[in-house]
Amino acid sequence: MDLFVAIFTGTVIAATPLIFAALGELVVEKSGVLNLGIEGMMLVGAAFAFWAVVAGLPMPLAILAGALAGAAASLLFGVLALTFLTNQYAAGLALAIFGSGVSAFLGRNFGSEPIDGLKPLAIPLLSDIPVLGPLLFRYDPLVYLAILSFVAIAWFLSRTKGGLILRTIGESPEIAHAIGYPVVKIRYWAVLFGGLMAGLGGAYLSVAYTPLWVENMTAGKGWIALALVVFATWRAYRVLLGAWLFGGMTILQLQGQALGLAVPSELLSALPYLATIVVLVIISQNRQMLAEHFPASLAKPFRPTV
Amino acid sequence: MRDVTRREFLRYSGAGGVALGVGGLPGLAAAEEKLKIGVVYVSPIAEIGWTKQHSLGVEAIKAELGDKVEITVLDNIFMPQDAERVFRELAASGNKLIFGTSFSHGTPMQKVAPRFPETAFEHCSGIVHLANLGTFEAKYYEGTFVAGAAAGHMTKTGKIGFIGGFPIPDIVGPANALLLGAQSVKPEITCNAIFLNSWFDPGKEKEAANTLVSQGCDVICSMTDTPTGVQVAGEKGAWSIGYASDMSKFGSGKHLTAFMLDWSRDYVGAAKAVAAGTWKPEVRWDGLAAGVVKMAPYNEAIPADVREKLKQLETDIGSGKVHPYTGELKDQDGNVKVAAGSVLSDPDIRGMNWFVQGMIGNLG
Repeated sequence: MDLFVAIFTGTVIAATPLIFAALGELVVEKSGVLNLGIEGMMLVGAAFAFWAVVAGLPMPLAILAGALAGAAASLLFGVLALTFLTNQYAAGLALAIFGSGVSAFLGRNFGSEPIDGLKPLAIPLLSDIPVLGPLLFRYDPLVYLAILSFVAIAWFLSRTKGGLILRTIGESPEIAHAIGYPVVKIRYWAVLFGGLMAGLGGAYLSVAYTPLWVENMTAGKGWIALALVVFATWRAYRVLLGAWLFGGMTILQLQGQALGLAVPSELLSALPYLATIVVLVIISQNRQMLAEHFPASLAKPFRPTV
Repeated sequence: MRDVTRREFLRYSGAGGVALGVGGLPGLAAAEEKLKIGVVYVSPIAEIGWTKQHSLGVEAIKAELGDKVEITVLDNIFMPQDAERVFRELAASGNKLIFGTSFSHGTPMQKVAPRFPETAFEHCSGIVHLANLGTFEAKYYEGTFVAGAAAGHMTKTGKIGFIGGFPIPDIVGPANALLLGAQSVKPEITCNAIFLNSWFDPGKEKEAANTLVSQGCDVICSMTDTPTGVQVAGEKGAWSIGYASDMSKFGSGKHLTAFMLDWSRDYVGAAKAVAAGTWKPEVRWDGLAAGVVKMAPYNEAIPADVREKLKQLETDIGSGKVHPYTGELKDQDGNVKVAAGSVLSDPDIRGMNWFVQGMIGNLG
């Protein structure tokens, strides 16, 4: 049972930075914009949040600083892609490289500082329930925030007028513009929100998940978040499931290795990726499912003509 | 030391990524008699870890030879194709001694070295030697054996955990020695091993440490380039063993010791030899005796008499009285690999691709 608890909680925690970043990107892509720079925004968020903690800011403010730094980084992409209508792939990649460089530069001076990471909440009574307590009620606040933001984003996208407008812009910015919606402005907000969430995911890494700063500490999580959005065929709940599947496979392969399973560790390490590919293949069997929620104008630049 | 500002500027502005090389640098009017030395790091110079220990070697050259040398340092050069360009540029711009600090620098160095026969190349953790390419490497296993003995004294569960980058001999060997050191205290101890199959992934390293703790390991040895393993072990109340640098400040008081690397002897030795014109390509492979491997201060929680024993063990390994791989050694399936009374030969140590009995893990 202890082992099950370890695997379950490990999965939930490992999935948290992916959930933040991928949900943010989902909103961006739903507005018809493709921002490939998640990795860079996460790194900037991670560096700023860590920096804020070292500078003595209280934890909630430090996390906010990380999120805002991610948003600020995304603004760079926004200006390039939305105002100057540069190629979104190129602008996103530039942001990924830029963010990695900027965060490395910022991090030069505080690399050796150990900090006290974000502490788990000990919810009175609930966290003491046998089994269920450690399974559900002993995470740090950001884990719950990730779940809450999933609920909020899923609800926003499918049940609110704002979500409908956002999706319309992602489907056909021309029509949205003709009806009178400020397409570029709304896309800016979506991009900023994506940056905020990526920054939050990065902050989670540097102040909660592994409370330290090392250069390029995201180790590719931004790219996985990007892939998760495709994997989820642009549905919020599938983003959540995908993040858990990926996190779970990572934990399981490590448990398998430590138990001495008669499988080479290289193969076990590839498991999360293999599982992802298998699911993608299954999804691709169903064309309709793939196309249903795909934002038709994704990555196409839009300039209001009138 | 000369700062390569243009390259750094480009890197941090994100325009160029790594390895733009030094070709476009304005030639500095160096005084004729100065010995020009080039050093290529595989990662940025962090405050701890692999590259930090190499930077201490460079510092040692500066301390020893002062303004007789001019050192050019390039960091974060990992990909072999980038490295080849960088090595060629360094050699072409008149550096007489060039250090490569990672296994991945090997192939490019072997390609570049023959074209610059007047230049001395030194490769850390290399295996191939040429007329002007020498290598230096540490006997990590001596350090892990001592650390393992410390773990053997402190473990309550009789299970220790090991986290490594890749299942290669340079990491499998030290993992074995860790367990053998622990078994020298209590023969029934076992060791669970996890390989991240990545040189660098703090998140995965955290999960690996968590996994080992959840499976009952109460000492975690992390042979990776971040303090994550030490940090997680400390949070979970398990003892930890650091690698490359002293990582005690990350260990919440649970850092038993670390097997540290000190390359200053290799760096200063090569620089002096080149300056004196006596440099020859050598195969240097040293451990505790030469001080290339050093143990970090032992945790005060280890009983004083045990700490004395560990220090004695360091001396005995250094003098050759104790050899970590002394028979009888069996592999995981119980086959005798080293007969009682003999020790594993040096080539066999450097090619170790099997786990000793008591290791739990699979090498495929």
